[in-house]
Amino acid sequence: MADRSESDRLKQESWYQKTIRRPEIGSFVVMIVVIIALALASDGQAFNALGLKNNIAIIAQFGIIATGAALLMIAGEFDLSIGSMIGFAGMSMAMMMKWGLPFGLGEATPFTAFLITLCMTLFLGWMIGNIVVRSGLSSFIVTLAFLFVLRGTTEVAFRLINKSTQISGLPDFKETSWFAELMGGEVFGWFYDLWFEFGGNLNRKGEQWVSGFDARFMWWIIIAGAAYFILSRTQLGNWIYATGDDKEAARANGVPVNKVKIGLFMFTAFCATMFAACQVFDTNTSDAAKGNLKELEAIAIAVVGGTLMTGGFGSVIGVVFGAVTVGLVANAVFFIPWIDGSWFRVFVGTVLLAAVFANERIRKRITGGI
Amino acid sequence: MAKSYMQVKGLVKRFGPFTALNGVDLEVFPGEVHALLGDNGAGKSTLIKILAGVHQPTSGRIFIEDDEVQFRSPRDASAAGIGTVYQDLALNQLMSVTRNFFMGRELKGRLGVLRTKEMDKIAHDEMLKIGIDISDPRQAVGTMSGGQRQTLAIARAIYFGAKVLILDEPTSALGQRQQMEVLKTMMRVRARGDIAIIFITHNEIHSNLVADRFTFLALGQVIGAGTKTELAGEDIRRLMAGGAEMKDLAHELAAI
Ligand SMILES: Nc1ncnc2c1ncn2[C@@H]1O[C@H](COP(=O)(O)OP(=O)(O)OP(=O)(O)O)[C@@H](O)[C@H]1O
Ligand SMILES: [Mg+2]
Repeated sequence: MADRSESDRLKQESWYQKTIRRPEIGSFVVMIVVIIALALASDGQAFNALGLKNNIAIIAQFGIIATGAALLMIAGEFDLSIGSMIGFAGMSMAMMMKWGLPFGLGEATPFTAFLITLCMTLFLGWMIGNIVVRSGLSSFIVTLAFLFVLRGTTEVAFRLINKSTQISGLPDFKETSWFAELMGGEVFGWFYDLWFEFGGNLNRKGEQWVSGFDARFMWWIIIAGAAYFILSRTQLGNWIYATGDDKEAARANGVPVNKVKIGLFMFTAFCATMFAACQVFDTNTSDAAKGNLKELEAIAIAVVGGTLMTGGFGSVIGVVFGAVTVGLVANAVFFIPWIDGSWFRVFVGTVLLAAVFANERIRKRITGGI
Repeated sequence: MAKSYMQVKGLVKRFGPFTALNGVDLEVFPGEVHALLGDNGAGKSTLIKILAGVHQPTSGRIFIEDDEVQFRSPRDASAAGIGTVYQDLALNQLMSVTRNFFMGRELKGRLGVLRTKEMDKIAHDEMLKIGIDISDPRQAVGTMSGGQRQTLAIARAIYFGAKVLILDEPTSALGQRQQMEVLKTMMRVRARGDIAIIFITHNEIHSNLVADRFTFLALGQVIGAGTKTELAGEDIRRLMAGGAEMKDLAHELAAI
């Protein structure tokens, strides 16, 4: 008895056991199933040159905002204003491109329009964060208020200045502006070039078909990569987990929990702005209804990816799997013509519920069933 | 006699109209366990929260090695060598032992990257020093026993330079065997000789086992203090009951 120590009681697990206990495993399995099912049902169309590009485009869109939503959820808060923030940012950029900078500052370039918009959205995120941490109110309510306020503001601003809640027919800024190209252009052309070299990626005439991914793919990789790095490798990551797990414990150890939260509300605003910028400069249009319901989809993806609703736990890798899953299913209707597009919502709802149960089990396992 | 490390004089704390502490004195010495005793609501937690910089005193003075200090935040207090292990331990259950050990004081390398390997090793070694060998510093704190968690919190406080280690009811939520583990841990820390321990408990046996010095609080005031030799065993029991005589209590109970 005396030579038995406490540490002997923890069984050393094999690589396999460790892997299947990882929190991302559920979302990974679901993702693989969806990929296979879609490939079969679409007769491979979903993953041919164009199918891949289109799927990645929507996956990256989801991925960008879900990364922001997940980090904030890990820190214990929600942001329901993401969708309205997307609409607001898109309106702001498109309107500056059409009507010039505010306060008679002259013509806008894509870069100045983006910069001024980003300043506004970061300020809004900062304000939301401050209201939440200072009032102690639930972020659910505070950001719900901003969901309405921002959407309403977007519509009013559109009607006042533009007379219509849509902007279309803007010139293609990608041809003249490096910045518009960076947001709305194409990236990773080498991938499709290589594909062509190896005899694929051909259109009907036998020429190269697709020339690159949408730029938002790159932005998703950058944002998710940075979030992964921060969360798992840095002090700030430790603080984000600690803030969402037990705020008072974190505070007692000198973690600036309020600053962490405010910073993350600004980060979700940043993600929404990137989402909008990629959209505006890709399509050269904007619409007051853009981003509608995106906040809920972002939260759903974060949860499907293994993020706990109660905070303190989650992984960016899981969120990547979640974004792939939800993105593919959202797009499935384009590749499987006989399917009703509304099955998408049924699917997301079902997977969401299953994920919540799975996450709850993980939480109980870690906290010893409290 | 050895010199005290920290001295508290005439500490008063009011929460609005409510006086939680009414002129409390306290002196702690390195290498000693100082038991802080008193009934529920006596003001023990309030006192140590002031020492830990969580609350600011309404009036009164705190001296560290003869210099007067003021703690405006928990950071001030920990910089002055006050390490507090709260009743709830201030641990994050879902996070790993290492992440908890270094919470708020992470070791950073280039680009702000955590030096994870080094941190794992320190967390493991520091806990081993005071008696617990955890096999995997990356296991979540939620999976550890209550005694192990206490040890983690104590090891953390010591590693980050605590000269006064405040333990708020470290044994209250534990089973017998684990209580003994924590008492042993305390004695190991005491044996180092350079750390003063303030030990809050409701358990007379525990305080008698480990304490060198006692302070009794009742309704926010000190009603008795002294070394073990200065206080007789019978006295301790009376003082712990907030000054009531045991035989009075027996009468009262009988009358119900
Ligand atoms: N923040 C606060 N605001 C108002 N009153 C408070 C506050 N904190 C403590 N008190 C009051 O001060 C008194 C002393 O509380 P304290 O927590 O210090 O008692 P304690 O001796 O630690 O008791 P226990 O043994 O139950 O832990 C209690 O009556 C409590 O209600
Ligand atoms: Mg208490």
